[in-house]
Amino acid sequence: MSGGIARGRLAEERKSWRKNHPHGFVAKPETLPDGTVNLMVWHCTIPGKTGTDWEGGCFPLTLNFSEDYPSKPPKCKFPQGFFHPNVYPSGTVCLSILNEDSGWRPAITVKQILVGIQDLLDQPNPADPAQTEGYHLFIQDATEYKKRVRQQAKQYPPLV
Amino acid sequence: MTTTTIIIAPNKTHPSFCTTAWTWGTPPIQSLIGRLLKGFGAIFRIEKPFHHNDDELSPCPASPKRRKVEVEKVVRNGKVVDILDSEEKENEDWLPPPPKISRNARILAENSTIKELRLKNKELVSFAQSTQDVLKAIEESAKQELSKSLQLSLDAAAEDNPKPPSKPCAERAKIVISIQDKDGLKQFRIYMDDKFERLFKLYADKVKLDRQTLAFRFDGDTVGPESTPAALGMEDDDLIEVHVKSTR
Repeated sequence: MSGGIARGRLAEERKSWRKNHPHGFVAKPETLPDGTVNLMVWHCTIPGKTGTDWEGGCFPLTLNFSEDYPSKPPKCKFPQGFFHPNVYPSGTVCLSILNEDSGWRPAITVKQILVGIQDLLDQPNPADPAQTEGYHLFIQDATEYKKRVRQQAKQYPPLV
Repeated sequence: MTTTTIIIAPNKTHPSFCTTAWTWGTPPIQSLIGRLLKGFGAIFRIEKPFHHNDDELSPCPASPKRRKVEVEKVVRNGKVVDILDSEEKENEDWLPPPPKISRNARILAENSTIKELRLKNKELVSFAQSTQDVLKAIEESAKQELSKSLQLSLDAAAEDNPKPPSKPCAERAKIVISIQDKDGLKQFRIYMDDKFERLFKLYADKVKLDRQTLAFRFDGDTVGPESTPAALGMEDDDLIEVHVKSTR
């Protein structure tokens, strides 16, 4: 069963995360109602980078790992309807390093994924749109796009 | 009434020599036999007409004192010899008279042998006595040690229970916690059962910031000042993030 490999790797990922991770990020496996930990689903928070329109927002992201991890990348989802050119209406993030057929490598860590997604927030890739609204505003109406991004950041305030 | 014949044969080849038949029952004789048997194991081979068996060593059930006799098996010179350990202390000082072996009417002829035997007997009695003393001493010291160690463990137990709250000592587990701000990590060593309040104060003092403006988070959750590392299941080098509260 390859699930052993996935869980082993995820346990390692979690261990290393606890010891060191970028400031403001959260990444923890979900805890089921009965108190057991499910390593296959992680609930994360990505802070918007300071100095960008995304600053001040803490964006929730869920990582769904399959039994084939780390051969295959996890599925990374923002909440449904998240405003960003490279996020599908379902919330799924479209990023090269998260694509099994393009940039994914088994050595990529959870930390690298989250930092990669943080970078993507302020640097959308217009060559690979995933939603029409975000994409169109981004290439057609920079002011409105900016406004929408700042609005969304306020929608996901930090816990403090 | 059972009668046991004990044959004491200094020389195996002459079983008839010095053959005596006693009837069990008179304490002096019991004591003598006990002592003789105690010592003779080393020197004489005690031959009994019966099989070795504890029952045969207490052959007279009519005599209650006989039952007190304990039988120990001791290996001497490679032979298993039964030692009778008589508990009849009141007979301890009693100097055994010559055994009444006169019934076979050869007293005179055997006088010298009997004398010799009595001498041996004395010697052996004293030897047995010294052995007993050694055993007693060992027993005593063992008892003392036991009571000492009992006392010690009691003391330890007494120390374990009421004191810990009052003495913060090495038994309390410590933990190294990193506090991460935007500029980097600072590590602090606190007790697992320390309230985070103490850690927060340590940190605030170090960075010279008002603790009230700081928010601490572990795994995205706010860390309460009343909580402890143990309560959050923290491990060494776990990271607590500190955020400066926005003054809106």
